[in-house]
Amino acid sequence: MKKLFVLMLALILALTSCSFAFAESTEDVIAQAQTMTLEELFKKAIEESNGKDFYAVGNSSRGKSALPLFVEELQKIDPSYTLNWDWQQPKENKIFDQLTEDVNGANHVMSMTLIQDGNQIQSKMLDTGILLNFVPKDWTEAEGVAKENNENPLALQTLNKVFEYNNLTDKTYTNMWDFVAEGEAPLFMGVNSELVGKNFLYMMTNEKYATWAKDAYEAWAGKNEEYDALIEDMKLDAEDLGITGENANYGLAWVYLWCEKYNEQTDDGPICNTLVTKSAAGQAGLLVYSKLRSVEETAESSVNNVTVAAYQDGYTGIGGYAYKHYLMLTKTSPLPWTSCALIAFMTTTKDGFKAWGKDMGGYAPVPACMQDHSKDGYVDGVDTYPAKNDRGYDWWLNEGHLVVEDPAYCASVSGTMSDWIDGIVSSK
Amino acid sequence: MTALASPKPSRFRRKMNSIWTYLSKPQNTILLALGIILTVTTIFPMVTIVRDTVRLHPGSVDTNANAADAQVEVMGETYTTYNWTNLFTDNITTRVGRERVTRSVASIYLWTPLLNSIFISIFACFGAILYGGVFAYLVTRTNLKLKKYLSSIFIFPYIMPQWTLAVMWQNLFNSNVVTGGNDGLLTSVFGVHMPLWWCQGIFPVSIVLALHYAPFAYILIGGIFRNMDANLEEAATILNTPRWKTFLRVTLPLVKPAILSTILLVFSSAMGSYPIPHYLKLNTLSTQYVGMSSNRAGQASILAVIMMLFGFLILIVNQRTTSGRKNFTTVTGKSGQTSVVNLRSGKYIVAVIFFITTLATGILPIILFAIETFLPNPGDYSFLTNGIAGHMTTKWWMTAENVTENGMYGQKGILFNSEIWNAFGGTLIVAVLCALCAGTIGTLIGYCVSKNRRSKWAAYVNNMAFLPYLMPSLAVGVAFFVFGSNVGIYNTFLLLVLAGTVKYIPFASRSALNSMMQLSGEIEEAAIIQDIPWWKRMTRIIIPIQKTSIISGYLLPFMTCLRELTLFMLLCGQGKIITTMLGYFDEMGLYAFSSGINLILIVVILLFNTLVNKLTGASLDAGIGGGK
Repeated sequence: MKKLFVLMLALILALTSCSFAFAESTEDVIAQAQTMTLEELFKKAIEESNGKDFYAVGNSSRGKSALPLFVEELQKIDPSYTLNWDWQQPKENKIFDQLTEDVNGANHVMSMTLIQDGNQIQSKMLDTGILLNFVPKDWTEAEGVAKENNENPLALQTLNKVFEYNNLTDKTYTNMWDFVAEGEAPLFMGVNSELVGKNFLYMMTNEKYATWAKDAYEAWAGKNEEYDALIEDMKLDAEDLGITGENANYGLAWVYLWCEKYNEQTDDGPICNTLVTKSAAGQAGLLVYSKLRSVEETAESSVNNVTVAAYQDGYTGIGGYAYKHYLMLTKTSPLPWTSCALIAFMTTTKDGFKAWGKDMGGYAPVPACMQDHSKDGYVDGVDTYPAKNDRGYDWWLNEGHLVVEDPAYCASVSGTMSDWIDGIVSSK
Repeated sequence: MTALASPKPSRFRRKMNSIWTYLSKPQNTILLALGIILTVTTIFPMVTIVRDTVRLHPGSVDTNANAADAQVEVMGETYTTYNWTNLFTDNITTRVGRERVTRSVASIYLWTPLLNSIFISIFACFGAILYGGVFAYLVTRTNLKLKKYLSSIFIFPYIMPQWTLAVMWQNLFNSNVVTGGNDGLLTSVFGVHMPLWWCQGIFPVSIVLALHYAPFAYILIGGIFRNMDANLEEAATILNTPRWKTFLRVTLPLVKPAILSTILLVFSSAMGSYPIPHYLKLNTLSTQYVGMSSNRAGQASILAVIMMLFGFLILIVNQRTTSGRKNFTTVTGKSGQTSVVNLRSGKYIVAVIFFITTLATGILPIILFAIETFLPNPGDYSFLTNGIAGHMTTKWWMTAENVTENGMYGQKGILFNSEIWNAFGGTLIVAVLCALCAGTIGTLIGYCVSKNRRSKWAAYVNNMAFLPYLMPSLAVGVAFFVFGSNVGIYNTFLLLVLAGTVKYIPFASRSALNSMMQLSGEIEEAAIIQDIPWWKRMTRIIIPIQKTSIISGYLLPFMTCLRELTLFMLLCGQGKIITTMLGYFDEMGLYAFSSGINLILIVVILLFNTLVNKLTGASLDAGIGGGK
């Protein structure tokens, strides 16, 4: 009896160690998945997750729209396939805590995430190894794919926030410095309630964008000695903050003036609803471009009450900023193959991207996933609302001068710049 | 025959016997069990949050290179003192009015929000007591007209989610000239521009909080006025004491305990309020906590600890200022006599004044909510300003698909929006479970404490049960967030019910304790002599006698859970319950959805209140006050 017990114990131990030895880590799965086509990934997902529970967490609620389409795709291969999915959307920046606790805790639930805020992603998720990047083979090989700034981490889409102003007065904004001139109070989400806004301010000190700020300042009609002095004085701040670029003081001066003047709002929705009304005459804001899609024309509100600053001929300087939604797996993903398949589906197919692609102002790196929004302002063939005619990703990057979020750069300056910005905002 | 002396039982045996005797009384066993459970559920989350202040947070300031010196190893874990030292002793260079200045970290992140929190809490207490107390006096002690109607409407602001009045304030008073953005209703229709201090900051936050908590003062102070022995005032009248002197020397001292109760409860509730300062742009500890949680997570927890300390401080103040029963409501006197002051023609004038004020705080928001759900764009009152009736729409209710862009930001109409209804279902689950757990535990605490009035353990359990209520909601929410994340129950109903139960046990325990105190022990003793088991004594005697108060103890957690945001907002995703969804819609500026949800919530709460009132006689304003 005793021998039998020992034998059984040995057998259990051996089986346990074998199962550990054969269990694939998420890193292994990703390495293999990156060499597979979408169809091969679908098959792996079916093997792995048929009838199981799949949990994901995201900043965008639209994952809920993409998941049923994903399941439908898998059911085309195996009609018996089912997936019980749950797409969560935490509030108040808690997505990072949730992912951290899920990976570091004993009970791993989350398989993947759709996440924004490059700064925190870099410092809290990538540097710590909590999230792992996966780049689908079909994405890498897709025709015309925009790899720069989109591959590591893998971006689902780039979203733009653009300068807009209510055009019902004679006042115009033809230079990025007009928005921070004396007497201005542009509408903007609080830098600590939506942190991609703070990332934009960090990015303004990056030499590329600081140089744009300098060029715009040189061309600005409102340029004067007072601003010159401020810009010069900002060299001290740049030194304190450890920012070494030659023109960083221009970027910092603009950031300082912006922080001093912006009028904090709870969300881009209310900013848009405000700007399109008659009573907001002469008001400006920096907001998600796609919000214009949801304005209903009335006697009080109209899209035509708004001008997109960068669409004006002769506009100088940045037209807004771009941030990204990234897709990644958790290090302890319970269903890594399914996660890889879903990420590949969302980033390489039109159906997968449909939930986001249907709106203007969101751009997939793979052109085939995109829908054309260049004539969204047309009604019955007539260009009725020109502000809604989205000029597309390339235009916005090159002509519209968007400041693009770079997670590594944001993480490198946020330690010092965050306090500097908070100090200005708190003393308003 | 020689009698054998029985051996003296050992000391251990005697101890065991006394423990057994002690535990053989159900109230003692329950008290012991609840004491342990409450200690764990109340203290453990608090310890977790204190620990969070010394934990390392990757990507936060405590893991920066200059924080490395502050790290210490304790039993294999790395902790840091950086969050405390940096917050309280370090300086940073920034700019104020274009000048380069060195400011302390605390001056940016702590002192201003702390002072603002204290100010709004004090002003909210003062406003709530003044408005609610005067109203309570008028309703209970005068011949005011429209009492029944006014009394029902007066509690509406407490029923509604607290930030709805804040959003209404914005929609009424904002103007492009003063606050930036578009014009509110007052400016659009009458061209009136209110000053900035009226639109944003301490003043509107205090007013809105006071209006929200005035029903609290009404319930507490009204309970005393209603039960006050009129003989005392009559004695003063016979002695020819002027009416004002009678009020100051007799009436006011009698309601002092209720005023103190209101101060204690409103102060902590106001201090923990997040949405009202958020919408009306005031930097408080709550809003600062949320703002700091990305880059200064450990220091955000220090703010939560400070809020908790206020809870402890309030508990100590309560201990010092109440005696004997340590009762917050102090229902005094058993006289059935109440004297009614004749207001003469003033009974109409005062009724009209309160009719107008309650109309503004109770009815107007509901009308505005209803109108908002038919506007083409959020806040677009073009049908008023342009007289175009056609500019109203039913799309926010009736749209059955979200493929076509209907100006609804990809949402289906309320009636077809499964996310809204799922969240509503989630709220009902949480509210029902919280009410059942908090109501049952609270009733048991009330019963057991009343049976052990002189026991220190009973006093401890009673205080432990009440402590979470004195803690600002956000601090309790933070504590349960850290706790829930550590044990892997974030975003589950379990965590929400746990937090809700712990927070709302006081509703039931206070209500039950007040009523059980009034119950003579002889009633139960008669049953004990008859050898009736405990559960039967409870279900056949105690509960039936005190059913109104006990049901109020279930009703209040239920109602409060339905419209709670601050406590739950850190514990779950935005689609889990209706208030997080409502907060999301409000932040997004989709006021039609948030208004529609508000309407549904108000209707549901009123329906439940009416239903329970008809069935049992209990009602919302018979809760903490210990019954009418």
